[in-house]
Amino acid sequence: MLSALIWLPLLGAIVISCFPSTVSSRTVRSVSLVLAIILLVWTIVLGSQFDLTATDMQFTELLPWLDTIGLNYSLGLDGLSLPLLFLNALLNVVAIAATDPEIPRSRFYYALIFVLNVGVVGAFLAQNLLLFFLFYEIEILPLYFLIAIWGGQKRGYAATKFLIYTAASGVVILAVFLGTVWFTGASSFAYDPGRSQLLPLGTQLLLLSGILLGFGIKTPFIPLHTWLPDAHVEASTPVSVLLAGVLLKLGTYGLLRFGLSMFLDAWAYLAPWLATWAAVGALYGACCAIAQQDMKKVVAYSSIAHMAFVLLATAATTRLSLIAAVAQMVSHGLISALLFLLVGVVYKKTGTRDVQVLRGLLNPERGLPLIGSLMILAAMASAGIPGMVGFIAEFMVFRSSFPIFPIQTLLCMVGTGLTAVYFLLMINRVFFGRLEDPFDKLPQVNWNDRIPALVLVAFILVLGLQPNWLVRWSESESGMLLTRMSMRTPPPVALTAKIEPARLLP
Amino acid sequence: MTQFLLQTIWLVPFYGVVGALVTIPWSAGMVRRTGPRPGAYINLFMTLLSFVHGSIGFIQVWGQPPQQLALEWLHAADLDIALTIEVSPISLGAMELVTCISLLAQIYALGYMEKDWSLARFFGLMGFFEGALAGIALSDSLFLSYGLLEMLTLSTYLLVGFWYAQPLVVTAARDAFLTKRVGDIILLMGLVALSSYGEGLNFSELADWADATPLVPWVAAVLGLSLIAGPTGKCAQFPLNLWLDEAMEGPNPAGILRNSVVVSAGAYVLIKLQPVFTLSPVSADALIVIGTVTAIGASLMAIAQIDIKRTLSHSTSAYLGLVFIAVGLGHVDIALLILFSHAIAKALLFMSAGGIIMTTSGQNITEMGGLWSRMPATATAFVVGSAGLIAVTPFGMFWTMHRWLDGSWTDSWWLLAVLAFANLLSAINLTRVFRLVFLGQPQAKTRRAPEVPWPMAIPMVTLSIVTLLAYTVPQGWQFWLSPTTPLMAQNSLFAQIAMPIELAAGLVGCVIGFSIELRRAWSRPAQISLRFLQDLLAYDFYIEKIYSVTVVAAVSGLSRLSDWVDRYIIDGAVNLVGLATIFSGQGLRYNVSGQFRFYVLTILLGVGLLLMVTVNLPS
Repeated sequence: MLSALIWLPLLGAIVISCFPSTVSSRTVRSVSLVLAIILLVWTIVLGSQFDLTATDMQFTELLPWLDTIGLNYSLGLDGLSLPLLFLNALLNVVAIAATDPEIPRSRFYYALIFVLNVGVVGAFLAQNLLLFFLFYEIEILPLYFLIAIWGGQKRGYAATKFLIYTAASGVVILAVFLGTVWFTGASSFAYDPGRSQLLPLGTQLLLLSGILLGFGIKTPFIPLHTWLPDAHVEASTPVSVLLAGVLLKLGTYGLLRFGLSMFLDAWAYLAPWLATWAAVGALYGACCAIAQQDMKKVVAYSSIAHMAFVLLATAATTRLSLIAAVAQMVSHGLISALLFLLVGVVYKKTGTRDVQVLRGLLNPERGLPLIGSLMILAAMASAGIPGMVGFIAEFMVFRSSFPIFPIQTLLCMVGTGLTAVYFLLMINRVFFGRLEDPFDKLPQVNWNDRIPALVLVAFILVLGLQPNWLVRWSESESGMLLTRMSMRTPPPVALTAKIEPARLLP
Repeated sequence: MTQFLLQTIWLVPFYGVVGALVTIPWSAGMVRRTGPRPGAYINLFMTLLSFVHGSIGFIQVWGQPPQQLALEWLHAADLDIALTIEVSPISLGAMELVTCISLLAQIYALGYMEKDWSLARFFGLMGFFEGALAGIALSDSLFLSYGLLEMLTLSTYLLVGFWYAQPLVVTAARDAFLTKRVGDIILLMGLVALSSYGEGLNFSELADWADATPLVPWVAAVLGLSLIAGPTGKCAQFPLNLWLDEAMEGPNPAGILRNSVVVSAGAYVLIKLQPVFTLSPVSADALIVIGTVTAIGASLMAIAQIDIKRTLSHSTSAYLGLVFIAVGLGHVDIALLILFSHAIAKALLFMSAGGIIMTTSGQNITEMGGLWSRMPATATAFVVGSAGLIAVTPFGMFWTMHRWLDGSWTDSWWLLAVLAFANLLSAINLTRVFRLVFLGQPQAKTRRAPEVPWPMAIPMVTLSIVTLLAYTVPQGWQFWLSPTTPLMAQNSLFAQIAMPIELAAGLVGCVIGFSIELRRAWSRPAQISLRFLQDLLAYDFYIEKIYSVTVVAAVSGLSRLSDWVDRYIIDGAVNLVGLATIFSGQGLRYNVSGQFRFYVLTILLGVGLLLMVTVNLPS
């Protein structure tokens, strides 16, 4: 069952790249879209078969591969990976649907998208450290090409920066995996948190800091983040959607799966520092976002700020906070994907993303009224207005982290307040005001541009109004994660918990 | 049937939202053949429906004990969130007030917004607005109320930003959203803290919890303050008061709702939260201080304004300040009565102001005059609204003040002083505006001034009648909400002279308002001190300037600093490493001489170094 999710896109990539060059790019797009929808449906089928009460890996598959070096083809699915898997399948469809139908070198493009998909899905499913690493590395190459070939003006710089950063992250992670096997004396690379947890604290700290560095680059956390704004700015819209929506989640997924679960003592030891790191990241990302003039950069820095909430929740390590971390990942994936889609439409129609230049795009006759309205909605969702998925995810993050790290949580909440500041500044400049000369003859927005955005909006609203559908998957998983490790229960809330008066904003 | 309607009372807030959703084709401009009007009518019909449904429910529930309905909304680990509503005479009454004013304002908007091209969008937003307000009236859970308050923030943003092509509107909408958001975020902090401490987030549970739990004093104080912050933003209280004044750039029918029931929504939540404030004297004191500062400050600001909507909006802040004082003192019944009397009277005043604005196409009251004979219905509405608002004439606010000062409560002299002062200034201001607009010689803009059209006149007259009858509510109000039974110490000296003093203050205000010299030509006083005073009040005590040099400057400075750090230090370091690698590679390539002996030497040196390291390695 799970293998299909890996091999089907690979097969698709091969088939698509074997198309004769006479096939028009529209046909290739339709074929890819159908394949992506099949994958999405397959993921939904998996979800419907998923046993919510089970605490173990489900649908496990195990094939011996290179036994001598301890590499096995071992897959499994649990409540942590299922929501992310679904997010990936959905955003894959959205990204393909949002691709320009006349894109040059279309066969290579769609083949790369599917190879990327193989890497991501494989990484979410792998139950073997080395296998995870392989998939993690597979995903780098297609993304490099996607940025370097279909990117903007400085695409070479951005793509190389991305490649170097991510390759460095891969090297560090590989080193940690090797070290884990070395220190635990395991005979294979099978994912086995029970073993690594028994390591002495010093060793755990060493290995965990490698994990934090490696996945911290991927997520990214400051100061390891500078590849992200460049990559986003240069990447084309569908690639940005995938990058922000899915690929960043690999980082936080790795933290949960290979950091928290494997090195529990060290994690508990470092948790206060991690929470502080998250708070600094949230505020820093928000402050940087306020100063940006490029719409894509605003959204990119907002990604950095919002991914920090996942770190905060993971640092808190209660049952609720782990559910909240997964929920925040999904919520950020949907919302940032929507934001990038909309910015992409604005760029496509106006030819610029500069907030100093754009004005009055809400104009109903000659502007982009629907795109503008959706942008307001997306900004509100990102700012955590109730009724949308951003709010409940952030509320759970804050609610679960507050008893453990009150000050850091409050600082993160200030960061979420700043979200409204930068997005409102952007919307006010770009969409409000009078539509003036250079932009008063904008090309028509067709339904190809609108439908992917509307689909994401539907998900954001439905999951915001009915959050049970979002959190139920990880409920038993998070419980298992914690009981298996004889986790500390959330300590009885001290009534002397410190509350800091928040700063006033304009 | 009626029982069924009572059971489904929770549907009422959804009518407005459904209306807004159904009319999206018209508001988005997808249906062009019919024009935007059908969208407006559908929304109006939905509001009528919610009003009728609410009325039936209200009649049914009268005299019955409150009951709660809960919807299990979210369950995750140890977090259980239920959305609870309360069905009681008070909550349904509040909801009736909301739907009634919304209905009247929407009929009014049919006339006021007649020529606007996006009429349907306006009505859709009003439906959304009304839904959120009605929800707050019913809500019995802090979580739900918080969510709905945020909905209000959002819809205020959209309604103020309705005419988004105008530059002032753009900043007004942004400021309204951000100011309220500051309060909301702090409220969210309080909510998160309460939810981790408390048993549940229902108001009744919170009250029990507050009774039973001895909190560390400063924790209780900070918790209380954070809960106050949200309503402070919503009710436009100092220091988050400026948005309401700016929000007057939005369409007037939305202003009717905003100045009457929307600001009241924040205070309503405050009233519900009152038991939590008893935890700490600090939060109660903070309420009183905020309320007093706003009541006096905003009344003073109102006097110096020449924009008819802005002067009325400052007066809104002032009356809401009185509500804050009442909640701070624990006189929640009085707070509710002030909200009620103020909402109706202020809605009427805004309807009248809207008529004036539409006829004269201006908001500057110094350019008006002599409208009394030309617009009799509008003038009557203004007089009636003022009468309902000043505690001079025996209508709503008079009886409310009477109930407050007649010895039922232990009041102190400072309270009387504040009330008398606010009443005095309010009387001066309303008389001043009335003279400038309706009396005197007609000016250029008021010479051809027909009375407002029927769709505006009908709700205006209806609301005038309601205002005249509204005194029955404070008269007949039983103190249902107050935790302690009122004192009934009618014989004390205070009780005997308080109301006469309040009355005298209002009368003096009217006399002053009628006797001061009004300059229509805008001129500044020659005396430095007077000029300073006028500027100080007219520019809202320069609060905006203070903001821009403190908070705004801090945030923008910080963002520029972090951007600089990001660009030149963090990314600079990364690029430096990259450049260093490239240049060292470039430099090293000149070592490749092609001479065999050089390579052998390099290899020998390298291997030797490796050997040394290996040998000396501690094993």
